[in-house]
Amino acid sequence: MQVPAPAFLNTLERSGLSTWIRESESAFAYYFVLVLHNIGLALLVGTCGVLGARLLGFVPELPLAPLRRFFRFIWAGFWLNVVSGVVLLIAYPTKALTNPLFYVKLVLIALGVWSLRTIERQLSVDAVARDSAPPVRRSLALWMLGLWLGVLTAGRALAYTATYILYGKGT
Amino acid sequence: MNFDHLHLLLNHVPIIGFFVGVGLFVASFTGSNEDLRRSALIIFAVVALLTIPTFVSGVGADRSIAREPGVSEALVRRHEGAAMLGLWFVVGTGAAALMALWRSRRPGGTPRGNLVAVLLLAIVAAILMGRTGNTGGDIRHPEPGVTAGAPITEGAVGSIIHVFEPTPDGFTNLMVANKWWWATMMVLHFVGLSLIIGVVGAIDLRIMGFAKELPFGPLHRLLPLALAGLGINVVTGMLAFIGMPAYYAADIAFWFKLAALMLLGLNAAVFYLTGMFDRVERLAPGEDATLSAKIVAASSLLLWFTVIISGRYIQHFEDSLRF
Repeated sequence: MQVPAPAFLNTLERSGLSTWIRESESAFAYYFVLVLHNIGLALLVGTCGVLGARLLGFVPELPLAPLRRFFRFIWAGFWLNVVSGVVLLIAYPTKALTNPLFYVKLVLIALGVWSLRTIERQLSVDAVARDSAPPVRRSLALWMLGLWLGVLTAGRALAYTATYILYGKGT
Repeated sequence: MNFDHLHLLLNHVPIIGFFVGVGLFVASFTGSNEDLRRSALIIFAVVALLTIPTFVSGVGADRSIAREPGVSEALVRRHEGAAMLGLWFVVGTGAAALMALWRSRRPGGTPRGNLVAVLLLAIVAAILMGRTGNTGGDIRHPEPGVTAGAPITEGAVGSIIHVFEPTPDGFTNLMVANKWWWATMMVLHFVGLSLIIGVVGAIDLRIMGFAKELPFGPLHRLLPLALAGLGINVVTGMLAFIGMPAYYAADIAFWFKLAALMLLGLNAAVFYLTGMFDRVERLAPGEDATLSAKIVAASSLLLWFTVIISGRYIQHFEDSLRF
């Protein structure tokens, strides 16, 4: 089923900011935002990988309490990507919002944030008291890792699954 | 930019490196000389890293040499096929050597199977590097009496190896034939970069003084995760390069990324081979690293982010180099 793309996407796409990010030859336009999005991804998924490895018992002798301090890099990466993601969305609104995979990515992000918040809360309650036994269930750690891998995969796949690149312009 | 000269400069490294490395490695088994074995393993890892720019500079050399009269296209393609086969054995030897170095620190030392794997891979890699060197030399200095366009005659060894050598254009087309294969490689490349940044970042930050309550030893035991990420990214990166060689070779951001990777190799050598690591490894919770270790850790972080940033800018700098 093909639904016509709503007209506000066209309006947004023709705005000065959207056009500049997309069409500027400057190295500080589109690819700069992509770089920021990439750095945010590395901080978020990379730190999740270290945390997940520890929670899955990869290096049990590593104390959990100080590892909690690395959550600041997770959230820094997350907010960097919220902002850079919105800017990328402004540059290519039709491309993202007409792609069902984009909504899958948003749901996965919401679930991923939930899993991280749960792990963070459980660690702050239990970790200092009993450091040896991981208070976080392995299944939750696995979910957390799987969800963020899903976000990464969906995000990457957005480049290859768009129906429209620009308003009225199919692939 | 003249990649011809860069290629001619670098191309001796994998050949000489692997011949010397195999010699030292075999010699290390007589009398079980641990220092000699360690040296050979380090040579394999370093040479494998340097083989990457050697391989990619060949594409630039190909472009400049193809314009010259009297150069046989068939000889160039044969050399490329030899390099495309040899590359994987060189990279594989480097990976097995790093694994052996990592495991040598455990009680009982490196498992025998790991050492045998290094030996077999290194011997095959040395033979293939010899073949790559010979076929490369033939481009400029063909056998007497052979004119451009004449059919290539192979010796006994060459005719056996040639069976396994890919057709360069065929390999390239295979990488870009299916967009989902390409997308899979890119997803894996991003997973690899996340593993590297996560683990190396945590280790570097601890050395620099962040989260000092963490003991260094257990944190450093996460390193195999980063090495797995590096392995994923070397393989997917080289496959992507083979898919679009002219695109990457003509891109200044790509060369910037490679330069940063080479400097990271140098940085790692300074950290692990000068005794700095042995001092850092003993850091208990709350203990501070030396200033020199902090500088090395900071430059590692800076260089890894340079790799990510310049990698992401490759598309922006398309066709930025003329050769």
